[in-house]
Amino acid sequence: MDPKDPKDPRDRENPVDRGERPEPHFRRELPAEVPAEQAGADRGATAAESAPDPAASPAPHAPDESGRRRLLSSLWPPRVSRAQLIVAVLLAGLGFGLAIQVASTNDNSALRGARQEDLVRILDELDDRTQRLEDEKQRLEEQRTGLESSSNQAEEARKQTLEKERQLGVLAGTVAAEGPGITVTVEDKKGTVEADMLLDAVQELRAAGAEAIQVNGVRVVANTYLSDASGGGVSVDGNKIKAPYRFRVIGKPEDLAPALNIPGGVVQTLEKEQAVVSVQDEEKVVVDALRPAEEPDYARSSSR
Amino acid sequence: MIAVLGLIVGVVVGLLVRPEVPAVVEPYLPIAVVAALDAVFGGLRAMLDGIFDDKVFVVSFLSNVVVAALIVFLGDKLGVGAQLSTGVVVVLGIRIFSNAAAIRRHVFRA
Repeated sequence: MDPKDPKDPRDRENPVDRGERPEPHFRRELPAEVPAEQAGADRGATAAESAPDPAASPAPHAPDESGRRRLLSSLWPPRVSRAQLIVAVLLAGLGFGLAIQVASTNDNSALRGARQEDLVRILDELDDRTQRLEDEKQRLEEQRTGLESSSNQAEEARKQTLEKERQLGVLAGTVAAEGPGITVTVEDKKGTVEADMLLDAVQELRAAGAEAIQVNGVRVVANTYLSDASGGGVSVDGNKIKAPYRFRVIGKPEDLAPALNIPGGVVQTLEKEQAVVSVQDEEKVVVDALRPAEEPDYARSSSR
Repeated sequence: MIAVLGLIVGVVVGLLVRPEVPAVVEPYLPIAVVAALDAVFGGLRAMLDGIFDDKVFVVSFLSNVVVAALIVFLGDKLGVGAQLSTGVVVVLGIRIFSNAAAIRRHVFRA
Protein backbone atom coordinates (compact mmCIF):
# COMPACT_ATOMS: atom_id res chain seq x y z
CA MET A 1 0.00 0.00 0.00
CA ASP A 2 2.58 2.46 1.04
CA PRO A 3 4.83 3.27 -1.82
CA LYS A 4 7.68 3.82 0.57
CA ASP A 5 9.80 0.97 1.71
CA PRO A 6 8.48 -0.09 5.09
CA LYS A 7 11.71 -1.85 5.96
CA ASP A 8 13.78 1.22 6.31
CA PRO A 9 11.70 4.35 6.42
CA ARG A 10 14.01 6.51 8.43
CA ASP A 11 16.83 6.50 5.93
CA ARG A 12 14.56 7.75 3.25
CA GLU A 13 13.14 10.53 5.30
CA ASN A 14 16.30 11.58 6.94
CA PRO A 15 17.09 14.42 4.52
CA VAL A 16 13.73 16.02 5.08
CA ASP A 17 13.78 15.61 8.79
CA ARG A 18 17.35 16.45 9.50
CA GLY A 19 16.55 19.87 10.81
CA GLU A 20 14.26 18.46 13.44
CA ARG A 21 16.39 15.74 14.91
CA PRO A 22 19.78 15.95 16.40
CA GLU A 23 22.51 13.92 14.93
CA PRO A 24 22.66 10.47 16.45
CA HIS A 25 26.13 10.88 17.89
CA PHE A 26 25.16 14.17 19.48
CA ARG A 27 22.13 12.60 21.08
CA ARG A 28 24.13 9.72 22.42
CA GLU A 29 26.56 12.06 24.06
CA LEU A 30 23.90 13.83 25.99
CA PRO A 31 23.46 11.42 28.90
CA ALA A 32 27.18 11.17 29.32
CA GLU A 33 27.67 14.91 29.21
CA VAL A 34 25.16 15.84 31.85
CA PRO A 35 24.82 12.89 34.08
CA ALA A 36 24.85 14.59 37.44
CA GLU A 37 22.77 17.69 37.28
CA GLN A 38 19.86 16.62 35.13
CA ALA A 39 19.85 12.92 35.20
CA GLY A 40 16.29 11.71 35.38
CA ALA A 41 13.72 14.45 35.68
CA ASP A 42 15.19 16.99 33.31
CA ARG A 43 15.54 14.71 30.40
CA GLY A 44 12.02 13.64 31.01
CA ALA A 45 10.19 10.68 29.78
CA THR A 46 11.87 10.51 26.44
CA ALA A 47 15.35 10.24 27.72
CA ALA A 48 14.34 7.85 30.44
CA GLU A 49 12.57 5.57 28.05
CA SER A 50 15.26 5.65 25.47
CA ALA A 51 17.84 4.45 27.92
CA PRO A 52 17.11 0.74 27.65
CA ASP A 53 16.50 1.09 23.95
CA PRO A 54 19.23 2.94 22.05
CA ALA A 55 17.09 5.22 19.97
CA ALA A 56 19.73 6.29 17.56
CA SER A 57 20.41 2.82 16.33
CA PRO A 58 18.27 2.27 13.27
CA ALA A 59 16.64 -0.98 14.29
CA PRO A 60 13.38 -0.99 12.41
CA HIS A 61 11.10 -2.91 14.75
CA ALA A 62 12.18 -2.22 18.27
CA PRO A 63 11.72 1.60 18.13
CA ASP A 64 8.23 1.19 16.78
CA GLU A 65 7.24 -0.78 19.83
CA SER A 66 8.98 1.47 22.29
CA GLY A 67 7.93 4.65 20.47
CA ARG A 68 4.34 3.92 21.10
CA ARG A 69 4.99 3.10 24.70
CA ARG A 70 6.93 6.32 25.06
CA LEU A 71 4.06 8.31 23.67
CA LEU A 72 1.57 6.68 26.03
CA SER A 73 3.77 7.05 29.05
CA SER A 74 4.40 10.70 28.31
CA LEU A 75 0.69 11.26 27.96
CA TRP A 76 -0.33 9.45 31.14
CA PRO A 77 0.28 9.88 33.99
CA PRO A 78 1.09 13.59 33.65
CA ARG A 79 4.54 14.43 34.88
CA VAL A 80 5.93 17.87 35.37
CA SER A 81 9.29 18.11 33.77
CA ARG A 82 11.29 20.89 32.16
CA ALA A 83 10.79 19.43 28.70
CA GLN A 84 7.08 19.07 29.19
CA LEU A 85 6.78 22.60 30.51
CA ILE A 86 8.78 24.16 27.71
CA VAL A 87 6.88 22.23 25.08
CA ALA A 88 3.66 23.19 26.81
CA VAL A 89 4.58 26.85 26.65
CA LEU A 90 5.49 26.61 22.97
CA LEU A 91 2.37 24.65 22.15
CA ALA A 92 0.29 27.17 24.05
CA GLY A 93 1.82 29.86 21.87
CA LEU A 94 1.06 27.79 18.79
CA GLY A 95 -2.53 27.20 19.90
CA PHE A 96 -2.93 30.88 20.68
CA GLY A 97 -1.67 31.92 17.28
CA LEU A 98 -3.75 29.25 15.59
CA ALA A 99 -6.89 30.32 17.39
CA ILE A 100 -6.56 34.03 16.71
CA GLN A 101 -5.60 33.38 13.12
CA VAL A 102 -8.61 31.15 12.58
CA ALA A 103 -10.81 33.67 14.37
CA SER A 104 -9.53 36.61 12.38
CA THR A 105 -9.90 34.63 9.16
CA ASN A 106 -13.42 33.64 10.07
CA ASP A 107 -14.91 36.75 11.49
CA ASN A 108 -13.69 39.09 8.83
CA SER A 109 -13.97 39.35 5.13
CA ALA A 110 -11.29 38.09 2.79
CA LEU A 111 -9.76 41.55 2.81
CA ARG A 112 -8.30 41.17 6.27
CA GLY A 113 -5.71 38.56 5.40
CA ALA A 114 -5.07 39.94 1.95
CA ARG A 115 -1.64 41.11 1.00
CA GLN A 116 -0.82 44.60 -0.07
CA GLU A 117 -0.63 43.88 -3.78
CA ASP A 118 -3.89 41.97 -3.60
CA LEU A 119 -5.51 44.93 -1.90
CA VAL A 120 -4.13 47.26 -4.55
CA ARG A 121 -5.49 44.98 -7.25
CA ILE A 122 -8.89 44.79 -5.57
CA LEU A 123 -8.92 48.56 -5.22
CA ASP A 124 -8.07 48.94 -8.90
CA GLU A 125 -10.85 46.59 -9.86
CA LEU A 126 -13.27 48.51 -7.69
CA ASP A 127 -12.17 51.76 -9.27
CA ASP A 128 -12.68 50.31 -12.73
CA ARG A 129 -16.05 49.04 -11.74
CA THR A 130 -17.01 52.39 -10.29
CA GLN A 131 -15.91 54.08 -13.48
CA ARG A 132 -17.92 51.68 -15.59
CA LEU A 133 -20.98 52.16 -13.45
CA GLU A 134 -20.57 55.93 -13.57
CA ASP A 135 -20.39 55.78 -17.35
CA GLU A 136 -23.45 53.62 -17.49
CA LYS A 137 -25.30 55.96 -15.15
CA GLN A 138 -24.43 58.93 -17.30
CA ARG A 139 -25.54 57.10 -20.42
CA LEU A 140 -28.83 56.14 -18.85
CA GLU A 141 -29.41 59.67 -17.63
CA GLU A 142 -28.84 61.00 -21.12
CA GLN A 143 -31.24 58.42 -22.43
CA ARG A 144 -33.80 59.46 -19.84
CA THR A 145 -33.40 63.11 -20.72
CA GLY A 146 -33.85 62.29 -24.37
CA LEU A 147 -36.92 60.23 -23.69
CA GLU A 148 -38.41 62.91 -21.48
CA SER A 149 -37.88 65.63 -24.05
CA SER A 150 -39.23 63.44 -26.82
CA SER A 151 -42.26 62.55 -24.74
CA ASN A 152 -42.72 66.25 -24.09
CA GLN A 153 -42.49 66.84 -27.81
CA ALA A 154 -44.97 64.08 -28.45
CA GLU A 155 -47.34 65.60 -25.92
CA GLU A 156 -46.95 68.99 -27.53
CA ALA A 157 -47.53 67.52 -30.96
CA ARG A 158 -50.59 65.75 -29.68
CA LYS A 159 -51.97 68.99 -28.25
CA GLN A 160 -51.32 70.83 -31.47
CA THR A 161 -52.96 68.06 -33.41
CA LEU A 162 -55.97 68.22 -31.19
CA GLU A 163 -56.16 71.99 -31.55
CA LYS A 164 -55.84 71.71 -35.29
CA GLU A 165 -58.50 69.05 -35.36
CA ARG A 166 -60.86 71.39 -33.54
CA GLN A 167 -60.12 74.26 -35.90
CA LEU A 168 -60.54 72.08 -38.92
CA GLY A 169 -63.64 70.58 -37.37
CA VAL A 170 -65.17 74.05 -37.23
CA LEU A 171 -64.40 74.52 -40.88
CA ALA A 172 -65.58 71.07 -41.88
CA GLY A 173 -68.68 71.31 -39.76
CA THR A 174 -67.94 68.25 -37.63
CA VAL A 175 -67.91 70.16 -34.35
CA ALA A 176 -70.19 72.81 -32.93
CA ALA A 177 -68.89 76.36 -32.73
CA GLU A 178 -69.82 79.47 -30.87
CA GLY A 179 -68.66 83.00 -30.85
CA PRO A 180 -69.67 86.53 -31.81
CA GLY A 181 -71.50 86.96 -35.06
CA ILE A 182 -74.81 87.87 -36.62
CA THR A 183 -78.13 86.30 -37.34
CA VAL A 184 -79.86 87.02 -40.61
CA THR A 185 -83.54 86.30 -41.05
CA VAL A 186 -85.02 86.32 -44.55
CA GLU A 187 -88.80 86.39 -44.58
CA ASP A 188 -90.12 85.26 -47.90
CA LYS A 189 -93.86 85.73 -47.87
CA LYS A 190 -94.24 85.64 -51.62
CA GLY A 191 -91.97 82.74 -52.40
CA THR A 192 -89.69 84.75 -54.57
CA VAL A 193 -86.41 83.96 -52.87
CA GLU A 194 -84.40 81.42 -54.82
CA ALA A 195 -81.36 79.37 -54.18
CA ASP A 196 -78.98 81.65 -56.04
CA MET A 197 -79.97 84.55 -53.80
CA LEU A 198 -79.20 82.55 -50.70
CA LEU A 199 -75.97 81.43 -52.32
CA ASP A 200 -75.10 85.06 -52.92
CA ALA A 201 -75.73 85.72 -49.28
CA VAL A 202 -73.51 82.80 -48.25
CA GLN A 203 -70.75 83.95 -50.61
CA GLU A 204 -70.97 87.45 -49.27
CA LEU A 205 -70.74 86.20 -45.71
CA ARG A 206 -67.74 84.04 -46.57
CA ALA A 207 -66.04 86.91 -48.28
CA ALA A 208 -66.60 89.00 -45.16
CA GLY A 209 -64.82 86.42 -43.05
CA ALA A 210 -67.61 84.21 -41.74
CA GLU A 211 -66.14 81.20 -40.03
CA ALA A 212 -69.16 79.02 -39.40
CA ILE A 213 -72.57 79.25 -41.00
CA GLN A 214 -75.76 77.34 -40.58
CA VAL A 215 -79.08 77.99 -42.17
CA ASN A 216 -82.26 76.51 -40.73
CA GLY A 217 -80.38 73.75 -38.98
CA VAL A 218 -78.10 72.84 -41.90
CA ARG A 219 -74.41 73.48 -41.60
CA VAL A 220 -72.94 75.32 -44.53
CA VAL A 221 -69.41 74.15 -45.37
CA ALA A 222 -67.04 74.28 -48.30
CA ASN A 223 -68.84 71.74 -50.47
CA THR A 224 -72.37 72.82 -49.56
CA TYR A 225 -74.61 73.25 -52.54
CA LEU A 226 -77.89 75.10 -52.76
CA SER A 227 -80.54 74.40 -55.30
CA ASP A 228 -84.18 75.25 -55.80
CA ALA A 229 -86.44 72.65 -54.40
CA SER A 230 -89.55 71.57 -56.23
CA GLY A 231 -92.68 73.04 -54.71
CA GLY A 232 -91.01 76.10 -53.21
CA GLY A 233 -88.22 76.40 -50.75
CA VAL A 234 -84.55 75.67 -51.16
CA SER A 235 -82.58 72.47 -50.88
CA VAL A 236 -79.32 72.79 -48.98
CA ASP A 237 -77.15 69.69 -49.40
CA GLY A 238 -80.31 67.78 -50.15
CA ASN A 239 -82.12 69.04 -47.04
CA LYS A 240 -85.19 70.94 -48.00
CA ILE A 241 -85.66 74.15 -46.04
CA LYS A 242 -88.46 76.67 -46.20
CA ALA A 243 -88.79 80.36 -45.48
CA PRO A 244 -88.13 82.09 -43.20
CA TYR A 245 -84.45 81.39 -43.73
CA ARG A 246 -82.46 81.98 -40.58
CA PHE A 247 -78.73 82.29 -40.97
CA ARG A 248 -76.51 81.99 -37.93
CA VAL A 249 -73.06 83.21 -38.74
CA ILE A 250 -69.96 83.36 -36.59
CA GLY A 251 -67.49 86.03 -37.55
CA LYS A 252 -66.69 89.63 -36.89
CA PRO A 253 -70.10 91.36 -36.70
CA GLU A 254 -68.65 94.73 -37.75
CA ASP A 255 -67.53 93.14 -41.00
CA LEU A 256 -70.43 90.81 -41.63
CA ALA A 257 -73.34 93.20 -41.22
CA PRO A 258 -71.96 95.92 -43.54
CA ALA A 259 -71.05 93.27 -46.09
CA LEU A 260 -74.71 92.33 -46.36
CA ASN A 261 -75.97 95.89 -46.17
CA ILE A 262 -73.78 97.56 -48.78
CA PRO A 263 -75.71 99.32 -51.50
CA GLY A 264 -76.52 96.89 -54.27
CA GLY A 265 -75.64 94.03 -51.95
CA VAL A 266 -77.50 91.02 -50.72
CA VAL A 267 -80.03 92.81 -48.55
CA GLN A 268 -81.01 95.25 -51.25
CA THR A 269 -81.30 92.47 -53.81
CA LEU A 270 -83.54 90.44 -51.53
CA GLU A 271 -85.67 93.41 -50.62
CA LYS A 272 -86.12 94.07 -54.28
CA GLU A 273 -87.74 90.61 -54.40
CA GLN A 274 -90.19 91.65 -51.65
CA ALA A 275 -88.39 89.65 -49.01
CA VAL A 276 -87.91 91.09 -45.56
CA VAL A 277 -84.34 90.84 -44.30
CA SER A 278 -83.29 91.58 -40.76
CA VAL A 279 -79.68 91.49 -39.62
CA GLN A 280 -78.82 91.46 -35.93
CA ASP A 281 -75.44 91.59 -34.28
CA GLU A 282 -75.10 89.03 -31.55
CA GLU A 283 -72.67 88.72 -28.71
CA LYS A 284 -72.84 84.98 -28.88
CA VAL A 285 -73.96 82.89 -31.77
CA VAL A 286 -74.12 79.12 -31.45
CA VAL A 287 -73.64 77.08 -34.59
CA ASP A 288 -74.53 73.58 -33.50
CA ALA A 289 -75.65 71.90 -36.67
CA LEU A 290 -73.18 69.18 -37.56
CA ARG A 291 -72.09 67.30 -40.61
CA PRO A 292 -70.58 63.85 -40.59
CA ALA A 293 -66.88 63.73 -41.35
CA GLU A 294 -66.50 62.22 -44.78
CA GLU A 295 -63.43 60.56 -46.08
CA PRO A 296 -62.78 61.79 -49.56
CA ASP A 297 -62.89 59.01 -52.11
CA TYR A 298 -60.04 60.15 -54.31
CA ALA A 299 -58.21 63.04 -52.83
CA ARG A 300 -55.37 62.07 -50.50
CA SER A 301 -53.16 64.31 -48.50
CA SER A 302 -49.91 64.73 -50.34
CA SER A 303 -48.11 66.30 -47.42
CA ARG A 304 -46.20 64.03 -45.20
CA MET B 1 0.29 15.50 28.91
CA ILE B 2 1.35 18.90 30.15
CA ALA B 3 2.24 19.75 26.56
CA VAL B 4 -1.20 18.74 25.30
CA LEU B 5 -2.76 20.76 28.10
CA GLY B 6 -0.64 23.72 27.04
CA LEU B 7 -1.93 23.43 23.48
CA ILE B 8 -5.52 23.29 24.69
CA VAL B 9 -4.98 26.23 27.04
CA GLY B 10 -3.48 28.25 24.20
CA VAL B 11 -6.39 27.56 21.89
CA VAL B 12 -8.94 28.36 24.58
CA VAL B 13 -7.19 31.58 25.57
CA GLY B 14 -6.89 32.61 21.93
CA LEU B 15 -10.59 31.99 21.36
CA LEU B 16 -11.68 33.73 24.54
CA VAL B 17 -9.43 36.76 24.40
CA ARG B 18 -9.69 37.32 20.66
CA PRO B 19 -6.92 39.89 20.56
CA GLU B 20 -6.69 42.28 17.68
CA VAL B 21 -3.78 41.14 15.55
CA PRO B 22 -1.40 44.04 14.95
CA ALA B 23 -1.25 44.97 11.32
CA VAL B 24 2.54 44.53 11.26
CA VAL B 25 2.37 40.92 12.39
CA GLU B 26 -0.71 40.01 10.42
CA PRO B 27 0.86 38.73 7.18
CA TYR B 28 3.36 36.60 9.10
CA LEU B 29 1.02 34.94 11.56
CA PRO B 30 -0.37 32.22 9.28
CA ILE B 31 3.04 31.26 7.99
CA ALA B 32 4.43 31.28 11.53
CA VAL B 33 1.63 29.00 12.64
CA VAL B 34 2.32 26.56 9.83
CA ALA B 35 6.04 26.61 10.63
CA ALA B 36 5.32 25.96 14.29
CA LEU B 37 3.06 23.08 13.32
CA ASP B 38 5.93 21.63 11.32
CA ALA B 39 8.20 21.91 14.34
CA VAL B 40 5.60 20.23 16.53
CA PHE B 41 5.22 17.31 14.14
CA GLY B 42 8.97 17.01 13.93
CA GLY B 43 9.19 16.99 17.72
CA LEU B 44 6.48 14.37 17.98
CA ARG B 45 8.30 12.17 15.54
CA ALA B 46 11.54 12.69 17.37
CA MET B 47 9.84 11.67 20.60
CA LEU B 48 8.52 8.51 19.02
CA ASP B 49 11.98 7.81 17.68
CA GLY B 50 13.30 8.33 21.18
CA ILE B 51 15.59 11.14 20.25
CA PHE B 52 13.49 14.02 21.50
CA ASP B 53 15.38 16.82 23.08
CA ASP B 54 13.64 19.84 24.50
CA LYS B 55 16.46 22.22 23.67
CA VAL B 56 16.47 21.11 20.06
CA PHE B 57 12.71 21.38 19.98
CA VAL B 58 12.72 24.90 21.35
CA VAL B 59 15.41 26.03 18.95
CA SER B 60 13.78 24.39 15.94
CA PHE B 61 10.37 25.74 16.89
CA LEU B 62 11.56 29.30 17.27
CA SER B 63 13.91 29.23 14.32
CA ASN B 64 11.17 27.75 12.12
CA VAL B 65 8.84 30.56 13.06
CA VAL B 66 11.47 33.24 12.64
CA VAL B 67 12.76 31.93 9.34
CA ALA B 68 9.27 31.53 7.93
CA ALA B 69 8.37 35.07 8.92
CA LEU B 70 11.66 36.30 7.54
CA ILE B 71 11.04 34.63 4.20
CA VAL B 72 7.61 36.18 3.96
CA PHE B 73 9.00 39.55 4.96
CA LEU B 74 11.73 39.28 2.35
CA GLY B 75 9.17 38.18 -0.22
CA ASP B 76 7.03 41.17 0.55
CA LYS B 77 10.01 43.46 0.15
CA LEU B 78 10.91 41.80 -3.15
CA GLY B 79 7.34 41.95 -4.39
CA VAL B 80 6.88 38.19 -4.53
CA GLY B 81 5.34 37.82 -1.09
CA ALA B 82 2.32 35.84 -2.23
CA GLN B 83 4.34 33.35 -4.26
CA LEU B 84 7.00 32.99 -1.61
CA SER B 85 4.52 32.34 1.18
CA THR B 86 2.87 29.76 -1.05
CA GLY B 87 6.25 28.15 -1.50
CA VAL B 88 6.91 28.16 2.24
CA VAL B 89 3.54 26.59 2.92
CA VAL B 90 4.17 23.91 0.31
CA VAL B 91 7.58 23.02 1.70
CA LEU B 92 6.34 22.97 5.28
CA GLY B 93 3.34 20.95 4.19
CA ILE B 94 5.59 18.33 2.61
CA ARG B 95 7.62 18.14 5.79
CA ILE B 96 4.52 17.83 7.92
CA PHE B 97 3.26 15.02 5.71
CA SER B 98 6.51 13.06 5.87
CA ASN B 99 6.72 13.50 9.64
CA ALA B 100 3.11 12.45 9.95
CA ALA B 101 3.94 9.35 7.90
CA ALA B 102 6.74 8.45 10.30
CA ILE B 103 4.49 9.05 13.30
CA ARG B 104 1.85 6.88 11.73
CA ARG B 105 4.34 4.06 11.31
CA HIS B 106 5.21 4.29 14.95
CA VAL B 107 1.68 4.48 16.26
CA PHE B 108 -0.12 2.11 13.92
CA ARG B 109 2.90 0.14 12.67
CA ALA B 110 1.65 0.63 9.15
